[in-house]
This record gives sequence, C-alpha cells and structure tokens, in this order.
Amino acid sequence: MTHGIEMKRMLVVAAAAGAALCASASAYAAKSWGVTNEEIARFDAKVVDIACELGGDCPANCGDGKRQLGLLTDDGKLILVSKNATAFTGAAEELVDFCNKQVTADGLWTENRGVRFFAIQFVREVGGEWRAANRFTKKWSARTGIEESKAGNWFRHDLRIKEVFDQKGLLGLGAEADKKFLESRQ
Amino acid sequence: MKLKQFTRAIFCAALIMSAATGTASAAGERMQLKGELIDTWCYVSQIMGGSDFIVGSAHHACAVWCAAGGIPVGLLAEDGTIYMVMRVGKDSTSVANPGVLGSMSHVVTVNGTVHKRDGINYLFVDEIVADAGITKLTHETVGVIPPFAVPQQ
Ligand SMILES: [Cu+2]
Repeated sequence: MTHGIEMKRMLVVAAAAGAALCASASAYAAKSWGVTNEEIARFDAKVVDIACELGGDCPANCGDGKRQLGLLTDDGKLILVSKNATAFTGAAEELVDFCNKQVTADGLWTENRGVRFFAIQFVREVGGEWRAANRFTKKWSARTGIEESKAGNWFRHDLRIKEVFDQKGLLGLGAEADKKFLESRQ
Repeated sequence: MKLKQFTRAIFCAALIMSAATGTASAAGERMQLKGELIDTWCYVSQIMGGSDFIVGSAHHACAVWCAAGGIPVGLLAEDGTIYMVMRVGKDSTSVANPGVLGSMSHVVTVNGTVHKRDGINYLFVDEIVADAGITKLTHETVGVIPPFAVPQQ
C-alpha cells in the first residue's frame, strides 16, 4: 500500500470520526470508519471490569479508568471494547462512569487475525441520555493540567509519550536511527 | 481459647484464599509466550493499512500513542495469536500501564496466565523474562505509519 493511499485513507477516517462527533448533537448513531470486517451495531450490556470478570480481582469503581473494561451481554458474552471516539485512545474513560451499570452501546465491530472487538462511538445508561464516547480528551486535560485546546492532539503533548521518544526515538531504535531515517527522506 | 479462635480464623482465611486462587488458575492456563507488544486497535482494524506493517519500528510511535491512550496492548505471538495484556507483575493497570509504554514494539518473553473468553485471549503477565527490543525494521520498507507521526521540520 502506498503512502498516498494511506494518507487518503487516514483523511477519510479522520473526516468520518469528525463527522460522527459533529453530528452527535442530533444523530447518536455510529458512522462507518472503514475498518476491517466492519459491522455497525447497537446493543444493551453491562459495563464490567474484565480482570474482575475473569479472575475475581475487583477493585472499587472498575479500577477507576485504569483497567480495560468490557460489555457483558444478557446471554453472558464478554465483549472487549478497544476504542472510543477520540484519536489514539481506548474506551475505559468512556465506560468507567457506567461501572456495573446496564448501558446501550453504539459503535462498530472490527475483526481480523483472530480478534473481534468493539469500538464505541456513543453510550448511554439504558433509558438515559446519549453521550458521545469522546470524554477522554477532557479527562486527559484535567489530569495533566494541559489546556483543552491541545487535547485534540493530546498525543503530541503527553509527557509520558515525550519521555519514551526522548529516550528511544520515534522509531524506538535510538537517536542515531531516527537521524539516519530522517536524512534518507530528504 | 482466643489463640485457638485466631488460628482457626487464619486457617479459614487461608482456605478461602487458596480456593479463590484455585478457581482463578483453573479457568486460566499458565504459559510462557514470546511475541511483540503491539497496538491492537491499529493492528486488528487495519485503519492505517495492512496489519503486516502495523508492527516493528514503522508503528513504534503510534504504538506508544495508542498504549498511552489506553488502547489494549497485545502480545502478538510468533504463531500469530494475539493476547491482550491485562496485568504486568503486581501492577493490575491495563490502561496505559507505565511499565509497558517503553517496551512497545519490543519482542518480549513473558510468563503468565491466559484466560480464553468469547474468542479473546486475556494474558495476565507475571514477569517479563526477556526483552529482545524491536526486531522488525519495518520503517526501512514503509517509513513511519501513520506518516504524520514524523514531526514536521
Ligand atoms: Cu496505532
């Protein structure tokens, strides 16, 4: 796959995600992101702490956002929710507010290489108000003290990420490898 | 008498605890696994292109972003099986675990317990026994994915 096509695809995806967020005030329905074996879905399930569900290790409030959360359906199926509606972020911050509660989840499935998991775009407590699954950025801003105007690009300002890149470089192979790579592109 | 009660309480607590651990380990399987610590969202969804290049140095930057953002970190075993990392050592943080951020894209060998549930392998890592670093130099073939991870000069 060429970079041109990748870039185009990224833009389509970004536009789709943006459109989903903009439309959120009126239409709480998942949009296509063009992911592999995509399937748009809405269903009711209980928000659970996966480690608790599997092994009985159950801290208060589903781990307060520090644990991967899942959706447990009425027929006992455990669904891993891997993604929310902001860039490069998971779903724990979106679901933790509904710990052990019954919610309606709206989003899409993707399946590939033996894994099928769910990306959540909208969520509400059953019978409650819809919200877009985009709380991550606000919470990140509150947690880090970095202003909200930067939160859309949180990954460019996050100090934990900066620390890794400072130590290992962008490629993860050290500063010398980065230098060589950047020079080769000119 | 008091001592006896105390002893009995300790004994019962130990019994309950061993029963609890017994249940947990009965559901899981002890394994040693070797594989790359990957960003499962980009790898599975192929939102940025084919999975084969969502590994190694090409995707290191994005893998760190996604791990810090709380996307499940996976261990991509040599046979292609994906294991979701739910714990590392005593730290049960599975969202942006600080102990994993610096090891993204590395090929590691771990001892742990695997719970299979509804098609997903959940891996509770007891210890990382070896770290071979980044072994796939995918950036040499495809550059950085996504390209905008490279800072503009
Ligand atoms: Cu990624």
